[in-house]
Amino acid sequence: MSKYGKLPLNRASTYYLILLASLLGTQQSALASKLPENHFQIHGFLTQAYVKTTDNRFFGDSQDGSFDFREIGANASYRFNPKLMASAQLLSRVAGDMYNGSLTVDYAQLDYTFHMSERARYGALLGRTKNPLGFYNDTRDVAATRPGIFMPQAIYWDRVRNMVLSNDGVQFYADNSNGLHRFSLQLLAGKTPIDENVEKSYLDPSLNASMDQDGVTTGGRLLYEWDGGRLRLALSNAMLKLDSRTTILPPGTIDIDYWVLSAQYNHGPWRLTAEYMEEPIDYQGFANLLDSADTTVDGYYLQGDYRLHSDWELLLRYEQSHYDKDDRYGSKISTISGLPPFNFYSKLWTAGLLWEPTEQLMLRAEFSQVEGVIFLSNLENPVPSERVKDWNLFSLLISYSF
Amino acid sequence: MKSAHRGIFFALLLCLTNSSGAVDLVVNGNVPIETLSRSTVRSVFSMRMTSWPDGVPIQVFVMGDKTRLHASFSKEILGVFPHQLRRAWNRQIFAGTGQAPAKVDTEQEMLDKVATTPGAIGYTSEELINEQIRKIAVE
Repeated sequence: MSKYGKLPLNRASTYYLILLASLLGTQQSALASKLPENHFQIHGFLTQAYVKTTDNRFFGDSQDGSFDFREIGANASYRFNPKLMASAQLLSRVAGDMYNGSLTVDYAQLDYTFHMSERARYGALLGRTKNPLGFYNDTRDVAATRPGIFMPQAIYWDRVRNMVLSNDGVQFYADNSNGLHRFSLQLLAGKTPIDENVEKSYLDPSLNASMDQDGVTTGGRLLYEWDGGRLRLALSNAMLKLDSRTTILPPGTIDIDYWVLSAQYNHGPWRLTAEYMEEPIDYQGFANLLDSADTTVDGYYLQGDYRLHSDWELLLRYEQSHYDKDDRYGSKISTISGLPPFNFYSKLWTAGLLWEPTEQLMLRAEFSQVEGVIFLSNLENPVPSERVKDWNLFSLLISYSF
Repeated sequence: MKSAHRGIFFALLLCLTNSSGAVDLVVNGNVPIETLSRSTVRSVFSMRMTSWPDGVPIQVFVMGDKTRLHASFSKEILGVFPHQLRRAWNRQIFAGTGQAPAKVDTEQEMLDKVATTPGAIGYTSEELINEQIRKIAVE
């Protein structure tokens, strides 16, 4: 049962929107005189990509050239006073067979700052909030903030995107600056919207699994910045438990623990970024039939960006993903599962060019050489014998944001 | 006559040297501060700090990314490129955790807005300062 795709505007989301609207109405007149002049803001983005692959399907029928990668979003924010802000964003995302473009509430939150001074800021977000995992997760659908046309799949899997995207609950934040040092801590607890992409990734699609979250997702991020972000280091985590029912096996639960370690160095026109992800997956129940499926997925990428000129940027990225960090190239699991090893890892080289002719407009072109298919969606490539080990990926993107 | 010419020439030279690349932070006359640390200036312009110590909301004014004045402000005072600053704003705007600064088109508009908006902060290359607008030293 998909909570995100099929029922995008569920009761909780509608409630947030009504709450936001009524707060806007009642507060506007009372505080208008003390508010900054742009306390109500509307922003948005419109992104269209073209994807061409030599083999395999990625974001649609990419072997023929696919335009099934489109992101449209709009948000509104209202600052009642320096300590209280409400904001909400609607998102429509087409991503091949993974997302069909139906409208979802990306976030809808109230942000209250308990304490603010020159050095410190403490507060909480309430509602549907974006999950701050790694450097990019919370704005992963916004081309203007992404490190390339696609998110580095080694960390930010598109096939299980919703699992770590957002939470319905509460998020606490604490920001502390001292001279050149800045520490920022975010902690969250809430319900995660689970969708078909997650169901078809953590259990074989033939099992027709349906999953519900057991308890709440907990997680957060600790970020350290030195000298205004010249050096950035972060540790992030999200933990959740999925209750699963299938048409064949007895029910069971899947424990997921998602860790990301991030580092970035900015110097003049150079930016170097590295992130490492480790995700232990523990299958329990299922009459012990899936105990041998327990694994620790891991992956990393290294990316260098160079600003050529005020409008142009080059990027080079290498990334690698493994289904089992102790069986990196899938040789053991290949003998157990009968699938060729390249189903259990991926290696990608990506070279790209970015052009930002104006503040609002961005164009990107990228070429990737790929070995392995682990990051490809089971929904888009259901037949294992049709998957190809060595393939190339070419993509173009145009994005407008305001 | 000759000395008058020379006087004008030196006055012009002085103007040119004063305005070449020099950029200063300016605040509305009512803002109760004299100096700001660099890390506080970064918090203000990255839109994380939203009020002055007396509780008055901060109103940030900036010029376009491609203007020379904004580029020198970003580089000299914040220590980042304009596109890096914009990405930092976008990361907050599209996660719902912050708002964008107000944009002005010309330096004159910047001075007018900072002078007339309570809690305003911006930057200028000009020397002309009155009681409605004050320069702030960055420590």
